[in-house]
Amino acid sequence: MSAIQTVVKEKQKLSLDKDVQEESIISAKGLNLWYGNDQALKNINLEIPEKQVTAIIGPSGCGKSTFLKTVNRMVELVPIVKINGNIDYHGVNIFDSKVNLVELRSSVGMVFQKPNPFPKSIFDNIAFGPRVHGIKKKAELTKIVEKSLRASGLWDEVKDRLGESALGLSGGQQQRLCIARCLAVEPEVILMDEPTSALDPKSTLKVEELIQELKEKYSIIIVTHNMQQAARISDKTAFFLNGEVVEFDNTDKIFSNPTDKRTEDYITGRFG
Amino acid sequence: MPMRGGFLAELRELKEEIMLLGSMVEKAFEDVLTAIENEDVAKFNEIIKNDKKVNSLELDINEKATLLIAKQQPVASDLRNIIVALKISSDLERVGDLAVDMAKAAQRMDRMSYFKDYQSDLMAMATKTSKMMREVLIAYQQGNVIEAQHIANVDDEVDEAYGQFVKSIFTIKIDDKETAEQVTQMAFIARYIERIADYCTNIAEWIIYEVNGERFDLN
Repeated sequence: MSAIQTVVKEKQKLSLDKDVQEESIISAKGLNLWYGNDQALKNINLEIPEKQVTAIIGPSGCGKSTFLKTVNRMVELVPIVKINGNIDYHGVNIFDSKVNLVELRSSVGMVFQKPNPFPKSIFDNIAFGPRVHGIKKKAELTKIVEKSLRASGLWDEVKDRLGESALGLSGGQQQRLCIARCLAVEPEVILMDEPTSALDPKSTLKVEELIQELKEKYSIIIVTHNMQQAARISDKTAFFLNGEVVEFDNTDKIFSNPTDKRTEDYITGRFG
Repeated sequence: MPMRGGFLAELRELKEEIMLLGSMVEKAFEDVLTAIENEDVAKFNEIIKNDKKVNSLELDINEKATLLIAKQQPVASDLRNIIVALKISSDLERVGDLAVDMAKAAQRMDRMSYFKDYQSDLMAMATKTSKMMREVLIAYQQGNVIEAQHIANVDDEVDEAYGQFVKSIFTIKIDDKETAEQVTQMAFIARYIERIADYCTNIAEWIIYEVNGERFDLN
């Protein structure tokens, strides 16, 4: 083999390794979950890519929200939950006893279906998380608040009324406030559980555009009942059915020519 | 998608309209061939006039397909059904135009008997094409991928027949302007038939895409 060939081969190997490293930030491996005796997740194996949008679709009760809540271990708030298998985050199993839950949940933030701002000012909503993490200086908090509100596209709309109650914002603004609140603690992964299902079409569009911008810096997993939304905004789509992942592929493939007949039947509305 | 049942019925209607368009175009092609054989000059005008109906049906199919996309936001096989309906209806409309072109070229030939020696070769090629046309419409109706592939193979035979035909008519000794015109029109007619076979092949490719979601260049 010539010297040049060796170099090329080495480079290919390196870029291959890099691809593998870049590809997944979270990987579920043989994940099972029970609520009491009911198994809600069955042998889930999923590689969530870094800095991409992964959509999870499936009929009600298929386990998609359960999976989402498992990724930041919120599901354990339900007392009867039993889990086995792994979810690796940067290669570390999140169920490991050494994992700090507060750190995990600030790295893996969550946005819920219904906007849930605290009954506090806009400023205090955003500053809440950083304060919990020990940031006290007003100047620093002000910087974080502005940065987070800018990132969520809300800054221009609220910059002159940061002291007013967050409850006075419209539903769409409240949801973007919740996204800003999530960004304020500098997460890497954002979990979104049907984030636009309570919003009107215009606010939905704004949140969808925001998601597109956020994926430059964050890895996003979104559960949605709106299949057109999954098709519009995600790079990868996982189809869940009865607690199992039926198909996980590029969104383009899933919505143009899915491999599994059950996926095809679901996305074309034949059931679900 | 709560309108599923209605949507399926509308998809079926769309396919039925394409079958109707197909049968109109098929008839135009058959008619023009018979008229050439029988030197039935009156028929040519009728074929040219009828093409308006073909065009308006194609527009109607386009409109229905566009509305279905807008209202039902179809994905996967549903979306392919509609995209393929648009593609096939446009190919069929082009076949209709080619039948008209054949009729016009035939109108410009006033001494068809002069070519009797070559006409049987032309008709043999036309018969193959006409069979392709009939079979590709059935394959579309049935979503029959194997048949679609088979039909596309026949296109090679038509291409070869076309090449030979053109070669043979260009051996005709051209000693006046009129003969030159006759030979040219005959070559045009053959070319139009060969193009119709190409459109049948296109349609066969769309059938495969509709069923498998994969694009094949069959010819």
